[in-house]
Amino acid sequence: MSAAFADTVRSEWTKFRTIPANVPTLLSAVALMVGAGALTANGAAENYRAGHALFDATYISMYGGFLFAQITVGALGVLVVTHEYATGLIRTSTTVVPRRGRLFAAKVATYGLIALAMGWVSSFGAYTLGQTVIAAGGAPAASFADPGVLRAVVGMGLIWALVGLVGVALGILLRATMAATTVLVAVNFIIPVIGPRLLPDAVGAWVTTYWPISAGLQITTTVQDPGRVEPWTGLGVMAAFTVVLLVAAFAVFRSRDT
Amino acid sequence: MIEITGLTKRYGRRTAVDGLTFTVRPGQVTGFLGPNGAGKSTTMRAILGLDRPDSGSVTVDGRGYAGLSRPMREVGALLDARAVHPRRTARNHLLCIAQTNGISAPRVDEVLSLVGLESVARDRAGGFSLGMGQRLGIAVALLGDPKVLLFDEPVNGLDPEGIKWIRELMRGLAAEGRTVLVSSHLMSEMAQTADHLIVIGRGRLIADVGVTEFVRQGQNVLVRADEPGPLTARLAEAGATVTAGVDGALIVTGMEAREIGRAALDAGVVLTELTPQRSLEQAYMDLTRDSVEFQTSAA
Repeated sequence: MSAAFADTVRSEWTKFRTIPANVPTLLSAVALMVGAGALTANGAAENYRAGHALFDATYISMYGGFLFAQITVGALGVLVVTHEYATGLIRTSTTVVPRRGRLFAAKVATYGLIALAMGWVSSFGAYTLGQTVIAAGGAPAASFADPGVLRAVVGMGLIWALVGLVGVALGILLRATMAATTVLVAVNFIIPVIGPRLLPDAVGAWVTTYWPISAGLQITTTVQDPGRVEPWTGLGVMAAFTVVLLVAAFAVFRSRDT
Repeated sequence: MIEITGLTKRYGRRTAVDGLTFTVRPGQVTGFLGPNGAGKSTTMRAILGLDRPDSGSVTVDGRGYAGLSRPMREVGALLDARAVHPRRTARNHLLCIAQTNGISAPRVDEVLSLVGLESVARDRAGGFSLGMGQRLGIAVALLGDPKVLLFDEPVNGLDPEGIKWIRELMRGLAAEGRTVLVSSHLMSEMAQTADHLIVIGRGRLIADVGVTEFVRQGQNVLVRADEPGPLTARLAEAGATVTAGVDGALIVTGMEAREIGRAALDAGVVLTELTPQRSLEQAYMDLTRDSVEFQTSAA
């Protein structure tokens, strides 16, 4: 990493932490993930006692909270970019860092690392609390010794980073907070969660299997559903989708006047 | 030194800057004048690599801005003083920008005191008055201690004390041998601050002159006569420069009103108007009259 790039990353981190709302918002996403995760874990334990066959204690301790937290993580990624367009600061940023590639890479690296770090805090927190709740609810809790559990918990942090970067890419592409956040919610929540219920069966099934976030979340499962993609394949689909968005965002960012 | 050669920039079908060529030299304040919409901001943005020219080139000390790795050490710019996050403190605002170019926190504090904002360094920039905002914007420009400085409309909205402060700051920076380019649409302001003037209108260069010369050129006289032909010949004979004004009026340069009156008497021509136009503002208006983008119709 060149010194100039390191300076730009340092600046991006300062930009992030010196907007008063950012850090509390990020911590609220962690609290949301752990808290809501514990609730869904509790519900899942009840379902288990009612006799449901497929039970993934690791996945269920994180998924419920993630549905809420991902909106915050993605929206914050959007905001990291769009606040600069809204205030006009983007012109200052591109003036003091005229190499657009460096500025773009620093933004992506900084927010990606922030989301990854907080993702791991959340995933380990939600998993740990969730297992306690599940055990207390009389269902079999998971342990890191079980196959796939560590991969699932670490993978959830990676999903956080990817969701955050999708937000960054949408922010650059659309420049407006509302537009980018709306697209983000549609892409990561409405289409994958609500879509399958509204769409024709064949399309709904495709969305459930291959839609980036749906496929990506397979990394957080420890019980393989035969109808879904493998964990790493799924993460690969989501990562590829994120990379495509980032490449498009960079192409636009590099060529556009600011 | 800033060198602009054949700069052209279009936004859609509108040509904002049209084949502009001029040089900004070090050691003096260069005023960049033109009516609103003349292309001043576009030119400044092109110097900073924010807008890509459709043709032509811009270099700062012989190099293109976009290629600079740590540009704040070479060029400082005040473009839009309102470009701050309202909830970030003044000091943090400067720190974010300083860090991109490896400029240290002590320098941030130094610049804060240089622009007189040290007492509000930890206040949110959103609560700043227009004048404090301009000072913060100027602090950004000064962070890297650059040899070239660009100020886009720095006195907009400032009180007299703030204007005086900026004027002295710019003159001081030029006296240290720096290149200082200041845009404004107010001639009177530039007359007091600048040593040299670049005047543009509708994206084209209108004048590239020293302030002293501009002032001299500005001392012309508006003349109307019932027989302009013989009078024009007479005045030209006497060494004055006569150009045609609006509605048959003559703009006479290089001759006092009294001498013109005497020439008219000698030529037997009846004068219907004889108006000395000594204000710089008027000279500037004459110069840019045809290039004002949005003009109110004559009453």
